[in-house]
Amino acid sequence: MEHKKILIIGGGVAGLSAALALEQLGIKASIVEKTGFLGGHAIQYACKATDQCVKCGACVVEEKLKAVTENPDIRIFLNSQIKNKAQNNGRSVITLNRQPDYIDPHKCTDCGQCYAQCPGKGAIEQGFSPNNHPLYALNADKCLRFTGQDCHICEDVCPEKAIDLNQQPYKHICEINAVIVASGFKAFEPVDKPYGWQVFDNVITNLELERMLRRQSIAVRPSDGLPARRIAFIQCVGSRDATLNHLWCSKVCCGSALRMARVIKTRHPESEITFFYMDAQNSGKDFEKFYAAVQNDIHEIRCLPGDVYQTSDGSLQVSHFDQHDRQSVEHIFDLVVLSVGITPGSDSGKLADRLQLKPELTGFFSASPTQLGIFTAGAAAGPMTIEDAIASAGQAVWQTVQYLKTC
Amino acid sequence: MSDVIKINDIDSSDCQRFDKWPFSQDFCVTCGLCSSTCPVSGIDNFDPRKLVRMISLGLEEQLVESRWPWICTMCAKCEKVCPMGIDIASLIRGVRSLRDRDKVPGILHKGLTAAMKTGNNLGLPQDDFVFIIEDVAEEIAEEPGFEGFTAPIDKKGANLLTTIHNKLVNTHTEDLKYWWRIFHAAQEDWTVPSDNWEGTNWGLFTGDDEAMKIMTGRIVENMEKLEIKTLLWPE
Repeated sequence: MEHKKILIIGGGVAGLSAALALEQLGIKASIVEKTGFLGGHAIQYACKATDQCVKCGACVVEEKLKAVTENPDIRIFLNSQIKNKAQNNGRSVITLNRQPDYIDPHKCTDCGQCYAQCPGKGAIEQGFSPNNHPLYALNADKCLRFTGQDCHICEDVCPEKAIDLNQQPYKHICEINAVIVASGFKAFEPVDKPYGWQVFDNVITNLELERMLRRQSIAVRPSDGLPARRIAFIQCVGSRDATLNHLWCSKVCCGSALRMARVIKTRHPESEITFFYMDAQNSGKDFEKFYAAVQNDIHEIRCLPGDVYQTSDGSLQVSHFDQHDRQSVEHIFDLVVLSVGITPGSDSGKLADRLQLKPELTGFFSASPTQLGIFTAGAAAGPMTIEDAIASAGQAVWQTVQYLKTC
Repeated sequence: MSDVIKINDIDSSDCQRFDKWPFSQDFCVTCGLCSSTCPVSGIDNFDPRKLVRMISLGLEEQLVESRWPWICTMCAKCEKVCPMGIDIASLIRGVRSLRDRDKVPGILHKGLTAAMKTGNNLGLPQDDFVFIIEDVAEEIAEEPGFEGFTAPIDKKGANLLTTIHNKLVNTHTEDLKYWWRIFHAAQEDWTVPSDNWEGTNWGLFTGDDEAMKIMTGRIVENMEKLEIKTLLWPE
């Protein structure tokens, strides 16, 4: 087993868990990650403990990330994507398209000067965890230098001279025994929904709220930074939607919305939280107990709102049908949080082609691909919680080991 | 609307029903977006979500007798937001079509009956219609820049045939002028028919396919008779 090499596609919680599990078995794992940071979506999530841990799993992601970055035997390819896959004598030859490390990890001290002074919007990105090093990465698609302008501000301001934009992308070829696809998901972008996301400042997605609660202890209105006292969660935005071909339930949003609501309410008891839903989905074995407890903290309305309008002070007027009064009613909120659906990864079609895999009709990968030596882990195979993604990574590793015994 | 329905009373084996109700209503996930977005929900407790579910459960007879289907303005905003793509406005029209014609709400019923008989919802005689059109045209001709303006009636071979919404020759004659000024400024070769000029089609709103077909057929006849290829049909 010690001579076997596994390539893991995707550095989110599933990919990190798979790499650590393989490493424990003495099998060499490499992680290919298309962005500049490990951790995927899950590293952006906030701890949702109130007076006690609610087992959301956010801290586990941080632990996994730390363990992977501290393990010299796990090879990491950031800013890299699969170009193609060929067969050679029972092994696979994978070619990666690699962006160079424009920011040298050995020199960078994570001071953030490049991030603070970059004039290109979004060209220097910041990681979500202190365990991401470098904490900053260059997005060549948005960098002025790579779009034809003579800009070298980041190179000049870096006190360590860690940035070199004159490097060229290159190909990396690796010979491997098996692949674990852990390429994750894409959070649905609700631009076409009638809720004014990206039109009104104070309408955000659940992912944006996760990031906010990870950064700071309270939920605020993005428009003016003031604490958001009246908060609405709108569930199933982009899930269970035939017009989008997203017929599935995204599984995690009820649990995560209610947990975030509880965190906000615990820290700020004066918060008024309304949960608009069609049916609350169970997630985790303690959900029933949790759901019963949460009833005291939030106002539940079993109806999705129809329209959101902004009032003159930046608050949001939300209209919905009240099934008890049988009237159309309006409420004012400081913050509206859209629980957006989990959809197939934006590159999953391209990735499937390059691996000669056939995705399912939903666009997600099969949980048990038929192609020899390819396994899937995490939300690449459909919506799942952090806990389930870790478990599925364990299963993928077990399947991989069984496969390695045969070849 | 009675609240308690015995589920056992519903004939679930009646699959034939779905041929009559091909509006995808059985895909409803009861999210409530339709009721939340509806501009008239709550009037007489009107609840589109409940209406869709009632059809799904085979309770259309109750709806046929109720006011609910007639509260709907058929704006179809509900359809636009429905995540399951249910044709809610068409479904409501389907319910309306099941009501006895003499029980169709007054103004719609009277208007459509008049339209069937006379060609327009008002029962306006042809001479009166022509008089109103010419009178409004004369008013425009008095405006600066519109000297010599006339409204061409029954002009054979014109480029554009336009229908008229009945209220524009009744209480809202001023509103005729907006289109006409545009036609004048654009030097459009247009005309209006002296007969069967009605632009509204209340067969649509009452769920009466036959009436809708007759009204539409009359417009097509006018186009053929006057040898006009383009229709402007401003409801």
